[in-house]
Amino acid sequence: MNNKRLQLLPLWAAISAVIIIAGIVLMALLGFNTALDKPSAKTFDVYYNVVVDLSEGGEDKLKDLCEDAFAEAGISYEQAEVLEGQTAPVSLNQSGFSSTGTDFLLRYTFAGDVSDEKLASAKAAAEAAIDGDEVFLTPAETYVSFDTVTLQPMNEAMWRGAVGVAVAAVVALIYVAIRFGLGCALTGLVACVNDAFLTLAVLAIARIPVYAFAPMLYAAIAAVVSAVLWLVRCMKLRDAAKEPSAGALSAEESVAQVCRETDKTVWLAAGLTLAVVLVAALCTLATGAMPVFAAALLPVAAGLYSSMLLAPALHVKVKAKFDAMKKKHVRYEGKKKAKADAEA
Amino acid sequence: MGKKKSVVLLVIYTLLIAVLCFICTVSFSYGTDNLYTFSSVMRMMEKDADLGLAYGANADAGAYLGGGYSAVYYPEGVISAKEYDDNIRDMSEEDAADYAADYVRYPGENGSVYLEKGVAANEDGTVQDSFKEAFASALSVVTERVAALRVDGARVENTGDYAIRVFLPAMMDGEYSAMTIFSYTGPFDLRCGTDEASAESVFNITSKYSMHDYVSSVRARSSGSAAYVEFDFTDLGRDALAEATAGAAETAVTLYFYVGDTSVISLSVSETYDQNTLYISGSYTAETASAVAAVFSTALDGTEEDLALTAGDAYFHPALYGENTVWMLYIAFGVLFVAMMAFFFIRYRRLGFVHLYTYLLFLFAMILCGWGISFVYLSVESFLAFLLASVLLCVSDAVCFESARKEYALGKTMASSVKTGYKKVFWKLFDLHVVVALIAFLVAAISISALQVAAFVLGLATVFSGVATLAVNRFGWAVMMGTSKKQGAFCNFKREEVEDE
Repeated sequence: MNNKRLQLLPLWAAISAVIIIAGIVLMALLGFNTALDKPSAKTFDVYYNVVVDLSEGGEDKLKDLCEDAFAEAGISYEQAEVLEGQTAPVSLNQSGFSSTGTDFLLRYTFAGDVSDEKLASAKAAAEAAIDGDEVFLTPAETYVSFDTVTLQPMNEAMWRGAVGVAVAAVVALIYVAIRFGLGCALTGLVACVNDAFLTLAVLAIARIPVYAFAPMLYAAIAAVVSAVLWLVRCMKLRDAAKEPSAGALSAEESVAQVCRETDKTVWLAAGLTLAVVLVAALCTLATGAMPVFAAALLPVAAGLYSSMLLAPALHVKVKAKFDAMKKKHVRYEGKKKAKADAEA
Repeated sequence: MGKKKSVVLLVIYTLLIAVLCFICTVSFSYGTDNLYTFSSVMRMMEKDADLGLAYGANADAGAYLGGGYSAVYYPEGVISAKEYDDNIRDMSEEDAADYAADYVRYPGENGSVYLEKGVAANEDGTVQDSFKEAFASALSVVTERVAALRVDGARVENTGDYAIRVFLPAMMDGEYSAMTIFSYTGPFDLRCGTDEASAESVFNITSKYSMHDYVSSVRARSSGSAAYVEFDFTDLGRDALAEATAGAAETAVTLYFYVGDTSVISLSVSETYDQNTLYISGSYTAETASAVAAVFSTALDGTEEDLALTAGDAYFHPALYGENTVWMLYIAFGVLFVAMMAFFFIRYRRLGFVHLYTYLLFLFAMILCGWGISFVYLSVESFLAFLLASVLLCVSDAVCFESARKEYALGKTMASSVKTGYKKVFWKLFDLHVVVALIAFLVAAISISALQVAAFVLGLATVFSGVATLAVNRFGWAVMMGTSKKQGAFCNFKREEVEDE
């Protein structure tokens, strides 16, 4: 009835500890790879007025000219947008932005390491092409410029998210303690904290590109998945404890039996969640949403890891300790009762 | 349940689902030349800055939900290269030369800004050290103001070294006014008088007393639908304000709340104001009050030397993740929905309809909440949270079905199997939902912006999932099964085969 994975707690703990410690060091030194938020980028802007500058079909032509200029300069952009000009926000009497109707901006965003020289060369090529093309009626107002853009950090969301996940995990596991016992809650808490940290650590170590808001979202998902998968085990543990033969089993045998009975459910639940997130990632492949879904596979995988390996192995020790305490308590109560009976 | 009763209830249930489906998902144009448009709830639901979608009768004319606006704040002494070109283009040669002599292009001949000599740049074209410090301070103040909004998607960028680009999501209340007042710099000043021109400062700022000796904090508060800006005065500030408004009972005066040279709020006072706290409500929403409070709060540390900022170059950004992202999310949902129903119909045959109705009710409840709850909106994160809750509902329904299947296999009647099956899993599913909802709501209560909304959606969907699986699903099962004579076949449940000895 023994299960080898239950005897490898030092190994699972060491794996988690190494990854988490390395992750914390990297988080402290480098933070997360928030490249998706473009913390440092270059923008190449082409301002144009559809009435003054362009004849029909001019917008497409403008895009073609810019792309030719980039190809000539040997650079490629990460994102292209057409932005509609708005009246400047200068008056409190106005209630909202309103479109000027004629001003537009064609913005190309490049990685931060694209050199200014190449952008300058692309700018010169684009300006020359615009000047020489009859599609542009008054090329002087079609203006090209490029900039270095640096995102200013806002950290409140990050630390509040971390506090939120920590508090939520503790409170949820108080509920687990009430319903399933302190031992289950302690193991669950370790699993939740482990999974949240493991997720963050892997994000930091593997330098997986994420949006700045996302790390704590993934930590929260890891905590939820971990709690749910551990609850599946807890329910079976409680049921098993009610069996008449439960007293005859050691902690390891008992946990091994429960693991065997619930492994399929845990795999199914985690596999289903992974499949759902994967399908969402695949469907949004060509959009900015894809990285959000793709990285969400990580916390689910972390939850599966701890639910299959770390938590059951840890619970063997925790359960053994609690079982011993329970037996001692029973013996003490028995002695007390015998003494009271003798006195009577 | 009798067959007639079942049929009647099933028809009502189906009609309810059909109506909800129509309201939540169907949009169409009607009337002469399609003048009017009926927009579905899904279409009218707020989208965050990453997503965006045209909606309503004016969809063709640009009515849009989602996306956001950006504007650039240029400090005094800095103009964009485009503005410089626009200004110089029509000047005479002589004027152009004079104008050109006043400016230096930064950082080089391809720079995107021009610095004015004597204000931002030295005569030799290098940037003044004092300007660098003042700009760093202005950038920090603007960042603090935007961060104070705690709005998902809001961001501040330093662009071209000496300009500040602010992006605010369109789903905000009053993103225009926030963008406008965030450019106000300088110290806070409270003036009192019968008119703006003659109003005098209430607080005497000297080398001995700073503004913090009079005003301890400025915060935004909200209670229900009312939002207001709260000024907390120190005792010294309270005395000064009481003294300034002493004659207000005889002659009404107005309090003018200045940031730098701009009056942001004016407040009529008709009696002596002698309290430590002043609440100003007006027509604020929680977000506009927060923006105003952020401006005043940062202005408490403002000085006359602060750089003046001018807002310009405003643009609308349709959707940061790409204009098709919303449609891709809908497609992802469609694929998952088809896969889910294929599983339930294959494994449980007509019992799949019970899950279908339960899931649709859950879905429409979530859509209506996403539209009806003011701070909930459609984002990739909230969609992900919804998907996770959907997995929970599907697994819960399958667990209930499997539990009943086991009971039926033992030879019990269908009614008894369902009852016992539910009884066996009720507390397990209850615990599961309580734990997920607890985590989700606590994270929502403590965190801010994107994570807050995603966690709230997960919590809400988990509650709905619990109700759906433990109550609605069972009701649907009873109703639908009542219409069938062969209840085992209806559910694709089979008796356990016992071998004859």
